[in-house]
Amino acid sequence: MKHLLWFSGFLTLLLAGDRLGGLLLQRQADASLFRYSRLYRGEAGADLLFVGNSRGLTFYQPFIEEKTGLRTFNMSYNGLPADLAGVLVQDYLDRYPAPKKMIVDITLCDRSNDALIAAFLPFAGRSFRLDSLIHSKLPEIWRAGRVSALYRFNGEVFQRVLYHRNKTDSDWLLDRVVAPQLAAEAGGRSYDLEVHPDLVGQLQALVDSASKKGVTVELVISPYFPSFQVKNLDALKVAVEQATGLPVHDYRQALENPAFFGDFMHPNKAGAGAYIDLLLKDRVLPAE
Amino acid sequence: MVFNSLSFLIFITVFFPLYFGTRGRMRMGFCLLASYVFYGWWDWRFLALIAFSTVMDWWFGLWISYLDAPDATLKRCDAGSPALRNFGKFTAIVARTGWGRKAVLVSSMCMNLGVLGFFKYFNFFVENITSAFSAAGLTPSWATLNIILPVGISFYTFQSMSYTIDVYRRQIDWEPSLLRFATFIALFPQLVAGPIVRAADLLPQMRSDRPFVWHNLYSGSGRVLWGFFKKVAIADSLAPFVDQVFEAPESFGSLHLLIGVVFYSFQIYCDFSGYSDIAIGLARMMGFGFPENFRTPYFSRSFSEFWTRWHVSLSSWLRDYLYIPLGGNRQGAWATYRNNMLTMLLGGLWHGANWAFVFWGLLHGVFLILQRTVAPVWRRFVHFTRLPGMLNQVIEVAVVYSLTLLAWVYFRSGSIGLAGGDSFSTANRVISGIGSLEGFNMGAVVNKFQVVKGFLLIGILLAIELSNIRYHWNVRQVQRPGFRMAAFAVLLWLIAFFGTFGSNAFIYFQF
Repeated sequence: MKHLLWFSGFLTLLLAGDRLGGLLLQRQADASLFRYSRLYRGEAGADLLFVGNSRGLTFYQPFIEEKTGLRTFNMSYNGLPADLAGVLVQDYLDRYPAPKKMIVDITLCDRSNDALIAAFLPFAGRSFRLDSLIHSKLPEIWRAGRVSALYRFNGEVFQRVLYHRNKTDSDWLLDRVVAPQLAAEAGGRSYDLEVHPDLVGQLQALVDSASKKGVTVELVISPYFPSFQVKNLDALKVAVEQATGLPVHDYRQALENPAFFGDFMHPNKAGAGAYIDLLLKDRVLPAE
Repeated sequence: MVFNSLSFLIFITVFFPLYFGTRGRMRMGFCLLASYVFYGWWDWRFLALIAFSTVMDWWFGLWISYLDAPDATLKRCDAGSPALRNFGKFTAIVARTGWGRKAVLVSSMCMNLGVLGFFKYFNFFVENITSAFSAAGLTPSWATLNIILPVGISFYTFQSMSYTIDVYRRQIDWEPSLLRFATFIALFPQLVAGPIVRAADLLPQMRSDRPFVWHNLYSGSGRVLWGFFKKVAIADSLAPFVDQVFEAPESFGSLHLLIGVVFYSFQIYCDFSGYSDIAIGLARMMGFGFPENFRTPYFSRSFSEFWTRWHVSLSSWLRDYLYIPLGGNRQGAWATYRNNMLTMLLGGLWHGANWAFVFWGLLHGVFLILQRTVAPVWRRFVHFTRLPGMLNQVIEVAVVYSLTLLAWVYFRSGSIGLAGGDSFSTANRVISGIGSLEGFNMGAVVNKFQVVKGFLLIGILLAIELSNIRYHWNVRQVQRPGFRMAAFAVLLWLIAFFGTFGSNAFIYFQF
């Protein structure tokens, strides 16, 4: 009998602690200055919306706001796939007045990223679309999140939530210069970009929903390190242009200075400045 | 079947009620069946191999026993089942060949090492002999075979061999029950990644039914939870960072590489010792006591101490069946160095068919030899300078840990070699990258969130393990129900919050 009592007490403590912990962590997720916390808290209203994977972080908000005088919101994230981006954009459009422009780096159609989708569990309670996406793509993870409230916060997204609890993330960008030794090897290196028709379809849906709200959508390919080869990028560009009916502004070789890059795939802060100047010059970004 | 999978959860949920609901031969038979299901879940075809090794070693044990005491052995066979009687008669006939005890032992060793050699080292030897001939200007055309390495073969082969050797040495009696012996070899908690449990430790425990004891359930489940925390929360969380470092070392600065190597040292420790904890805990729940396999090895003050705290069941196996028979440290300095080196080289080769593992063993052999020569000088220095005891301890632990890290680089690269990569090139790039000190700053470290999480988890691990030396948490949790309740809940919360789920295999499965 005493063992049964012990077990009942243990289960009660386990569940109570889990739920209480989950509640406390959810508060942190709701109150943080991290981009998705602000998105779901209603503090992300902007004139310019940016969407992309880690390369989308090149849309460096402080520079853009300084040069355009417009409010910006960058919802890019490392490895953000098009299906998740579509959910985030639609949630944004539901909650805020339509921005003037939305700039999308199309390389987010590169590959799916279930691990990242799972890491968005802390916000599943704030978005039925996000909840449905996780439920449909990762039913086991979704169920685990129901069983354990703490499990929902087991991911890098929540770590960033904590990191940006009281610190803005608008200047989130790689701030280093690629090592000379590595830079010398760029010509021999390549990246195999994958073209997934379903992700291109997700991008098309994202563009359509924004266009219906009167948002001007600009599709871009942000710069890669000069001489670094990205296979299938042309195929992706063609597929996206055909699916969306919009031109893709191709800046893949727009920056020639190796000092503008943190690695082969990502411009650094200096590179972001130069890239943004090009976007302004080509009127992809509206000038002040 | 891996411990950190849903299928295993279902497996043990079914296993324990049936285990304690049966008695005698029925329980033993059920245990063997369950262990074979556990093993066959991975690849049922290799059950034949483990059954073959089991029957052969059991019979070699019978043969040696017959040569020692023919009448007594036959009497014991006659007292058993008809099958055992037949085995006894068959052995008596075979014994007429005139083979001595040593010849039987050598046959047993050849059989075991032959099976292990074929499955684990055949391609390695063919490739290396081919390379040697090619270097000599010859062009042999020996083909390698597409051999699948049976999981856990190194563990159960060593376990099985130790039985025959112990029977030969008259340290244990021959086991009359083939069923019990087969269960001893295949017992699922330790089957695929140890600890390597000796027959002298486990077989006597298996001769009587182990009753259900609450104390064992709590003590065992606490140990299982701790093992899961180490594996799922720590080892698997460190793994992605480590994998990135060893996949493309040139992409990272020196501090990032160093963190990667430190993380690997804790990844492999938590992965392997986590498995051992789960195995020991499961065995305890079944009523069996397994030997400890790890004792906070990174706090060792010397390499000889390290090897009494790291993978203890393997190092003690190598000590008892290789190092001491070679002469141990009783035949002068040079013979001791040779024995140290041979033991460590073979210990390295045991881990995998790749020169990087052998080199890892070589490094540890060198460290052991250096220790024997440097330690007296260091002790004199400490005495002369009156170095405070604590500082002396910190320096010794730091030196041993740093050199262990160096060796781990080659060990981790050995896995790359097994996967077809160039292990030495990888290891050298990691070491030269760290040595260059280029990018030795936090700004050059990428994935900082993984770094913060990794160090936080390592901190939790060290805090618990160090405090355990004084407070004996697992003993306390058994004695105090309230503390147990809190401890189990905290561990499960930590696993839920930090765990990496997805049935990642244990590193030592590949060995």
